[in-house]
Parts: sequence; structure tokens; C-alpha cells
Amino acid sequence: MDFLKSIAIAASGLRAQAGRMRVISENIANSDSTAQKAGSDPYRRKIPTFHAELDRSLDARVVALGRVRTDPSDFQLKYEPGHPAADANGNVKYPNVNPLIEMTDMREAQRSYEANVNVINATRRMIQRTLDILKA
Amino acid sequence: MAISNIPLFSMLRMRMQWHQERQRLLSENVANADTPQFQPRDLMPLKLDPARPIPPVLTLARTSPSHLASADGGNSFQLDRRGEFEARPSGNSVSLEDEMMKVAANQMDFQAVTALYTRGLGLIKTALGKR
Repeated sequence: MDFLKSIAIAASGLRAQAGRMRVISENIANSDSTAQKAGSDPYRRKIPTFHAELDRSLDARVVALGRVRTDPSDFQLKYEPGHPAADANGNVKYPNVNPLIEMTDMREAQRSYEANVNVINATRRMIQRTLDILKA
Repeated sequence: MAISNIPLFSMLRMRMQWHQERQRLLSENVANADTPQFQPRDLMPLKLDPARPIPPVLTLARTSPSHLASADGGNSFQLDRRGEFEARPSGNSVSLEDEMMKVAANQMDFQAVTALYTRGLGLIKTALGKR
């Protein structure tokens, strides 16, 4: 049945957005994770990627979470001479996570998730209408 | 006589198939709302011509009887090839608002079609003398 395909496609969107939320929450949780000793790097921000792939059983382009990449941008430096990870000048490298960007990404993921839920609900109502013909 | 031989029902049936196919494309668009380089797709509005009830079906031709037949009749509806004018820097041009409007419209139209189908069945029942 074709309506079930629509639901499966929307479900792939839900899965991808949920995976994106996982990466975002990882970034936010680790926004203060510095290195343990001087010279090593702190937590590096992760970026989820999406790609459309053809699902042959559904004959449709579903969305899939691709490789999670790392953000190559520079770390933030803070002057904290007493920190165990401080270098010779007393600077500590903090992760390149910007909470504002993560929050914005989170809202976007939430919005896309809601849109997919909407599609599932609409499709479900259409199936219900079809079944209602039987009751007539 | 099968119920699908009645022109009213065959037209409604085609319309329902069209809505089903459109729902599939719309859910594809929404699922890929964040995929780079993704272009949304939609169907052309369905034109029912009473003189030509079945639109030309685009399927693979079977040139030999040993070829496998396709499972369904194939997709007989035309894709809307007009591009979207708004694209994001990632090359994605899905507008979630537009897609939501289309999904809602598709659902309401489908509801109208099933209501008509039910009425049509009611007509037959009346003719058969059952209430």
C-alpha cells in the first residue's frame, strides 16, 4: 500500500532528525570538556550530515544520516594558569562549541521533526478515510 | 459488472491514486528538508477527460514474453517540472511551510474524494432497495 510508503519515508526523516538531535546534545553536553593535560586537544564540535538515498523497496528517496564530521575551526582560548591543561602561557583550549549555534540547530531539528510528524498524521487520516468507505 | 467499470467510481479511484502518489512525493520532500542539493517534487494537477478516461501510462515496454512484468501499472501521473525559486545556500529548496500547506490540501481533497465515493456507494444501495 502506497500510504504506508509515505509513512515509512516520513519515518526516515524522523530517524535522521533524531540522530541530529543526538549529535547536538553531545556538543552541548561537552561544551566545557577540556583536555586532561597540557598540549592535547579538547572536545571538537561534531556536525551531522544528511544525504538522500534511494530506497529500492520503497522506490523513494529517503533521508539518511551520513558520516558525522568534526568541525575544523579553531578552539577558544581562555587564560586560566591554574588549570591542569594550561600551556606555558597559562592559556587553556576550550571546545569550539558555540551554544547559540547549537540552540539554533536544535530548533531547526525540532521544526523538521514536527513537519515529519505532521505528514504522518495527515497520511494516517487519509488511510482512516479510505477505511471509512468500508463502513458506509 | 465490477464497480470500477462505472465511470464515476473509476474517476474517483484515479483521483485517490493521484492523491496517494502525491502524498508519497510530499513526504519525500519533508523528510529531505535538510538534505543538501535536494530539489522538491510535486505532481501536475490531475486532468480527467471523460472521452479518454485512462491517461497514457509510462511503463517499461515488454518486448518479449519472458520479461518480468512490473508489479503495479507504473506511475501514470506527470511530475510538475517547474522549479522552486527559493533555494538555501546548501542548494536545498524545500520550503517546509509550502509542503505543510500541500500536505493539508492533499489530505482535505482526499477526504472529499472518499466522501464522494461513499455517496456513490449510497446511491447504488438506494437503487438496490437497501437503506
